[in-house]
Amino acid sequence: MPLLEIKNLTLDLAFQGATARVVEDVSLQIDSGETVCLVGESGCGKSLTALSIARLVPTPPARYAGGQILVGGQDVLGMSRAELRRLRGRVVSYVFQEPTASLNPVFRVGSQIKESLRLHRPEAATDLEVSRLLKVVGISAPESRMRAYPHELSGGMQQRVMIAMALASQPSLLVADEPTTALDVTVQAQIFDLLRNLKQEFRMSLFLITHNLGVVRDLADRVAVMYAGQIVEHGPADAVLRKPRHPYTKALVNSVPKLGSSEQSLKVIPGQVPRLGAFPQGCRFHPRCGRVRPNCSVETPGLDEAQPNHQVRCPYWIRDAAGFDE
Amino acid sequence: MSLLEVCNLKVRFQADRRRLRRSSGCVRAVDDVSFAIEPGETLGLVGESGCGKTSLARAVIRLIEPASGSVWFEGEELTRLDAAALRSRRRKFQMIFQDPYTTLDPLMTAGEAIGEALDVHQLCQGEEDRRRQIEVLLSEVGLDPEHARRYPHEFSGGQRQRIGIARALAVRPKLVVCDEPVSALDVSVQAQIINLLRELQRSLGIAYLFITHDLAVVEHISQRILVMYLGRVMEAGEAKLICRSPKHPYTQALLSAVPVLDPDSKRQRIILPGEPPSPIDPPSGCPFHPRCPLAEARCREQTPALREIGAGHQVACHLVAPPPMG
Ligand SMILES: Nc1ncnc2c1ncn2[C@@H]1O[C@H](COP(=O)(O)OP(=O)(O)OP(=O)(O)O)[C@@H](O)[C@H]1O
Ligand SMILES: Nc1ncnc2c1ncn2[C@@H]1O[C@H](COP(=O)(O)OP(=O)(O)OP(=O)(O)O)[C@@H](O)[C@H]1O
Ligand SMILES: [Mg+2]
Ligand SMILES: [Mg+2]
Repeated sequence: MPLLEIKNLTLDLAFQGATARVVEDVSLQIDSGETVCLVGESGCGKSLTALSIARLVPTPPARYAGGQILVGGQDVLGMSRAELRRLRGRVVSYVFQEPTASLNPVFRVGSQIKESLRLHRPEAATDLEVSRLLKVVGISAPESRMRAYPHELSGGMQQRVMIAMALASQPSLLVADEPTTALDVTVQAQIFDLLRNLKQEFRMSLFLITHNLGVVRDLADRVAVMYAGQIVEHGPADAVLRKPRHPYTKALVNSVPKLGSSEQSLKVIPGQVPRLGAFPQGCRFHPRCGRVRPNCSVETPGLDEAQPNHQVRCPYWIRDAAGFDE
Repeated sequence: MSLLEVCNLKVRFQADRRRLRRSSGCVRAVDDVSFAIEPGETLGLVGESGCGKTSLARAVIRLIEPASGSVWFEGEELTRLDAAALRSRRRKFQMIFQDPYTTLDPLMTAGEAIGEALDVHQLCQGEEDRRRQIEVLLSEVGLDPEHARRYPHEFSGGQRQRIGIARALAVRPKLVVCDEPVSALDVSVQAQIINLLRELQRSLGIAYLFITHDLAVVEHISQRILVMYLGRVMEAGEAKLICRSPKHPYTQALLSAVPVLDPDSKRQRIILPGEPPSPIDPPSGCPFHPRCPLAEARCREQTPALREIGAGHQVACHLVAPPPMG
C-alpha cells in the first residue's frame, strides 16, 4: 500500500462571487522513502494540492468537490478532528517557503521545537532532544542557538529550525512547499543536501513543490507537472526531463536558461498563464501551444498512459512520440 | 572610451545602533570596486543576498552617494556633478527593478506612467506626438497600444515589468541598470522578458548593468560578469569563460550550487559551510576565507588584490596562480 494516494482530487474555490475549479482531477501516489516533485508556474494549484493532504485548505472559501486522499489507507477527507490532529505532524509534516511566517517571533526557537515535541512525542520533550534535532539539521552550537529568537537567525538558519520542527514528530511524509525559494543558492544547496541525507537516514518520503526544474533533476524520483489546476504530465523524473512529452513540459524545459549552453535566445512560451476562473475550453494549454490542432479547443484531453508509469494529457503528443515522430 | 567607468568605489552605511558596540559602526556595503561597461554591452553582476549589488548599482548612478571613488559616464565624472547638472544627465541612465508593482504608481495608467517619463525630460512635441511615442514604446515592449489606458493592477507581473521597461526606454537611455528584473517572474515569463531585453539591446544599442543572483540567467544575457562577495569583487571576466572554468573558489562553489536541468551533467557539488558573514564585521584577510575549502594561513591575514590572470580575466585569490611569465 502506498503511503499517500491522492485520487481524482477536485477542489473548488469561491472568489469574487463566483466559484472556480482550482484543482481538477489530480491523482498522485507516494511510496515510502520516495521523493515526488510537483512543478508548475505560479497559481497553478500546487500549494492547494499539497495542503489538501492534511486537509489544511480552509473550507470555505474552498470546497472539496470530489476525489479521495488516502494516507496509509485512511481517507483524510472523512477524518474527524481528532484523527486529523493525529495525522498532522505525526504522519504528515509541512515546511513552507517563508519561515518567518510560520515561526512565532516572540518565542525562542528552542521552545517552539519543544512545543512540537510536546504535541507529538511528549516523552521526548526535553532540551536534549531539541538540541539533537538542531544538530540533525546542521545548526552548530545548538545549546546556545535554541535560546535565540527567530529574528536573531538568518533565513537559512530559520528554515533549518522549521525543518527541525517538522522532524520533531518523526513524520512518514514531509511536504516541503518551495522550501528554498527565499534562500541563496549556496544555502539552498545546503538545505537540499540536508533533506537528501534525512530522507536516507529516516526512510522518510518527501513531497517537494518547486518551480525549479533543476531541483527536480537533483532530488526527485518522480515528477508531476501541473498547468492551470490539472496534472499535464507525470512520470519518472529522468524520463520527463530527458524526453518531455507534453508540449507544455517541453516548452517549460526549453524556456529555462541553462548554464553552459550556447543558445542565443531562449525559446519562449507565447502568451500568459490563464487566470483563475478563465481557463480555456478543451485543452487548457491550447492557446499557447506550438502544436495546436483544431480539435484542441473542443476536446478535453484525458491523462493517458504514454509509457508504463508515464502519463500525458495530450493525445497528439503521445501518438507522435510513439513512432510517427516529430 | 568606455561608456561607464567605475574606479575604487566604496559605499558605507551607518550600522544600526544596537550593533555599534561590537564594530566600527558602519556597513561596508561596497568595498573598492572598479569596472567598465562599453556601449551596447551587458555586464552581469552576481552574488548572494546582501553582497552589495543594489548598493553598487545605486551608487553608480548616484541614487546614493558613494563614500569614495569615482564614476565616469561618457568621459564625464558623475561623482563631481552638482545636482542640477546631474539631473540633466539622468536621461542617459535608467533603472528597472525587481518588482515593478512597488515602483509603478497604482493610480496612474500605463500610458500616464510612460508619458510622465517623457515629460520630465521634455521629449514630446505636443499632445499628438506624446500619444504616438507612448504607442511606439508600448509596442516595442510587446504590449498593445490599447493597454495605455489600463492601471497596474490590471496587468500580470510580466506585463508590469514590460511597463517598467517601456518607462525606462522612453527617454532613450544609453545605460539601463536592471536590478533583478526577472527574479520575481515565472520561468515562461522570465524567458519572454530576457529575450525582450536582448532584442532592445540589439535594436537600440543600450548597455546593461544586469544584477541577478541567477547564474544561468547572467551567463545567458551578459558578455562579461562581475562576481561579488561581501562588497568586494572576487572574479571578473568574460561570461562564458567564468561559467565554464571559474577560478575563484567562491565562484566555483556558487556555480556548483546551481541545480541544473541537464540529466547527463555529472558535476561535483561543493557545499559551503555556513552563510555569508555580516558586512559590519567582515573577516580579516580574504572575506571568503571562513567558508573557503582551500583557505590557508595567509588568507586569514592578507586581503588578496584583484589580479589579472588572463585576457580581461581578474581574480582576487592568493591561491590562483598568476599567468606564466613571458
Ligand atoms: N484563500 C484563497 N482565496 C482566493 N484564491 C485563492 C486562495 N488560495 C489560493 N487561491 C488561488 O488558487 C489558485 C491556486 O493557488 P495555489 O496557492 O495552489 O497556487 P501555487 O501553484 O501554489 O502558486 P505559487 O507558485 O504562486 O505558490 C491561485 O490562482 C490562487 O490565487
Ligand atoms: N540603507 C541602508 N542602511 C544600512 N545598511 C544597508 C542599507 N542598504 C543596504 N544595507 C546593507 O548593505 C549590504 C548590501 O546590501 P545590498 O542591498 O546592496 O545587497 P544586494 O546584493 O543587493 O542584496 P539582495 O540580493 O538581497 O538584493 C547589506 O548588508 C545590507 O544589509
Ligand atoms: Mg504555492
Ligand atoms: Mg539587491
